[in-house]
Amino acid sequence: MTRGGMAGALLLAGVLMTLAAQRLAARQDQQPGARLDTSYGCIVCHADKRRAFTLGIHSERGIRCHDCHGGNPAALETTAAHRGRFIGTPDRLGTVTVCSACHADPAQMRQYGLHTDQLAELRTSRHGQLLLGQGNQDAPSCTNCHDAHTILPPEDARSNVHPTNISATCAGCHEDAQLMGKYRLPTTQYEEFRASAHGVGLFERQNLAAPTCIGCHGSHSALPPGVSEVVNVCDQCHVLVGRAFNLGPHAEAARSGELPGCLGCHSNHGTERVPPDELAATCTPCHELQSNATLMGVEIQEQVSRAAEELELAQRAIEELTMVGYPVSDARFRYQAALTNYLQMARVQHQLDVEQLQDLALRVGSISREIRTTAEVRMEHRWEHQLWLIPVWFLGLAAVLFAWFMLRRVRREGA
Amino acid sequence: MIRRPTVLVFQWLTQLVTDLKDSTDASLLGVARFLGLLYGPIDRRLPIDKAWRKAMTYRLPSYVGWRHAFGGITYLLFIVLVVTGVLLALYYRPSAQEAYPSIQHIVSDVTFGWLVRDVHVWAANLIVIATLAHMARVFFAAAYKPPRETNWLIGLLLLFVVLAFGASGYLLPWDQWAYWTVTEVLGSVDVVPVFGTALADALKGDVIASGATLSRYFALHVIVLPWIAFALLVYHFVLVRRRGIAPPAGVEVEREGSVPFFPNHLLRSFIVSVLVLAVLFSLAALSPRPIGEPANPFVVPDELVSTWVPVDVSLALIHFFGHWGLALFTLLGLSLVLIPLFDRTPQRRMRQRPVVTALGLIFFTGFVAAWLAGRQIRGIPTVTPQTEVLDERGQQPTPGTPLPELGPSPIRPSVRDSVRPGREP
Repeated sequence: MTRGGMAGALLLAGVLMTLAAQRLAARQDQQPGARLDTSYGCIVCHADKRRAFTLGIHSERGIRCHDCHGGNPAALETTAAHRGRFIGTPDRLGTVTVCSACHADPAQMRQYGLHTDQLAELRTSRHGQLLLGQGNQDAPSCTNCHDAHTILPPEDARSNVHPTNISATCAGCHEDAQLMGKYRLPTTQYEEFRASAHGVGLFERQNLAAPTCIGCHGSHSALPPGVSEVVNVCDQCHVLVGRAFNLGPHAEAARSGELPGCLGCHSNHGTERVPPDELAATCTPCHELQSNATLMGVEIQEQVSRAAEELELAQRAIEELTMVGYPVSDARFRYQAALTNYLQMARVQHQLDVEQLQDLALRVGSISREIRTTAEVRMEHRWEHQLWLIPVWFLGLAAVLFAWFMLRRVRREGA
Repeated sequence: MIRRPTVLVFQWLTQLVTDLKDSTDASLLGVARFLGLLYGPIDRRLPIDKAWRKAMTYRLPSYVGWRHAFGGITYLLFIVLVVTGVLLALYYRPSAQEAYPSIQHIVSDVTFGWLVRDVHVWAANLIVIATLAHMARVFFAAAYKPPRETNWLIGLLLLFVVLAFGASGYLLPWDQWAYWTVTEVLGSVDVVPVFGTALADALKGDVIASGATLSRYFALHVIVLPWIAFALLVYHFVLVRRRGIAPPAGVEVEREGSVPFFPNHLLRSFIVSVLVLAVLFSLAALSPRPIGEPANPFVVPDELVSTWVPVDVSLALIHFFGHWGLALFTLLGLSLVLIPLFDRTPQRRMRQRPVVTALGLIFFTGFVAAWLAGRQIRGIPTVTPQTEVLDERGQQPTPGTPLPELGPSPIRPSVRDSVRPGREP
């Protein structure tokens, strides 16, 4: 090989190696855990924690093992590495201390836009009272809900505290009969919640606005609401219904603690809509059977049931119209108006304003009748279409008879 | 007293009718002469007059009777489909946004639009029955034997064209039933080995059935298939005229007399045609095709309502015998294509060819039985919406998409265990 050829080959090899090195470096950058370089001592022994940690938000923000656990990450031997401010695996109380060292510090959390009241809230919660007040190791610590290493923000669907996962996270302890037995707590909340209107909204309709455990109990400040607080808790989402309830006669009873607020008619974890035909039955546990209050309940039930029936009839009429090919956008628009009135009835019932309820029911009925009338007119048109068969068959049979006699005549003449 | 005025009035009326007739004849003669002046030079070049006279004196063998009407019925239904199809095409708009509203417009606003559409739908169903009835007559009469085997094959091709017409027209209403039935069918085509995926992709023109699919189906339905059908029909009729109509078993053509096509056969055809059209109008008025919700790729309907005979048959076969039953029945139908290649013996009586007759009986009676059973069955869609397809807002569609399983986080399968007391993470 000539000298020029050799130089060319070397140059080419150099270029190729540079490109390969760049590709390799780029690939390593894309791998999880790329921020933990190989000179970091902790991963020499705790390689199993590396992947879990690098998936979390702390890894993304540059937090490292020694920031929580202490020790000397520059050392490659266990003894040297575990020297200094090394705390190993903290217990539940210790975990709160470690986490709150940063998360209760506004100076550090400001840059991430995070609240710093978690520790203060935890102190007020039942979990905090047990853990911080009594040192009870049954009570959960930060990492029991957020994980120790793979800590993800609540918006991340993989997070244990994401709306679709948090009820399962709570159920991790609250479904444990042995553990809950010690504190005389039920274990059916999770199953009840899944079957409730809130659970169906969250899990089946994927409505992330539906409340989970923390929606009513609070997250770090988790406590069951008091009897007089229930209305305010539900009011956070059901604003209009809550306002109507507070204007009605039941509000005072709820404030005084005689009535457990919304739970007087609905249940807590298994919250559901009261079916229209069972509305009056919710009055009888507190009111006499023939009392004015129960009679008002019967009147409300009749109005709501009638409106529900009218809505169903309108829906059926729209289906009929669709089947015959009639444009139904206008009917659907009217149906939406009826539906809005029907939903307003739900608000008005909580105020026990029978007059307004009757007015809304009348509106629903009126719109429903309009839709049904349109459907009936279309069905009459179909009937008119069928009347065309009379002349068709009359003329057709006449033509057939005529042709038949002609054929016979032609055959006879041919024979 | 009264008799005389009556006779006078009668005489006056008779004279009036005679005068009118003479006057009309003279006028018609004048018009005919004028047209003759125009028509003469054309006729000298194209012997239309001669062809017309030949057609008027055309004679059919005397054994051609009512049972030969099925071919004519099929042709009549084809013409009905062409005429109603052209009328529908005046109002139908083949796009994903406009197809459904245009169907609503046709059946709700256009004068007699409901009749045109439902006659079209029912004719598309009856033509399948009429074609198979025509084929059954040819099959059991062994009319497919030489020298008419080519015409049998042409007839089979015409059957496939009829089925292709129906299949391509099925999507055009663009409602949920049409959309998801076609999606199911395309899914089945997709799993056919060798060419299935390529064919399904070519028909779809997109990752799912969409506006592109509708355009392709419409083009096939109103541009491609009509030309193929026209060419095959012409060839079919030419071969019928050249080879003649097959005589029944044991009858020799030479010894048979003949009857004139006009007016004998034409009157017979007229009677059948009027009855078929009356039945068609009755079906259209009494049982119009229902319309589902507008097609929505994100929502699978609870059930599929079938509106076409082959779909009924497929539903019944799948319901009772599974997908293999449908595949075997289709194979049996396709094997009829090969019969002229193997069954070339001169025997034409059914008793002399029991295997072929049995095969035919199984197919034709099975088809009718499956059709009747399939009308009672409601299809349940087995496909799911394409989750990777985003809706107009660029978001994953929520309705219809499979929900994530509840329970532990995907990161830690045993999250519940890990938060139990005594187990530190």
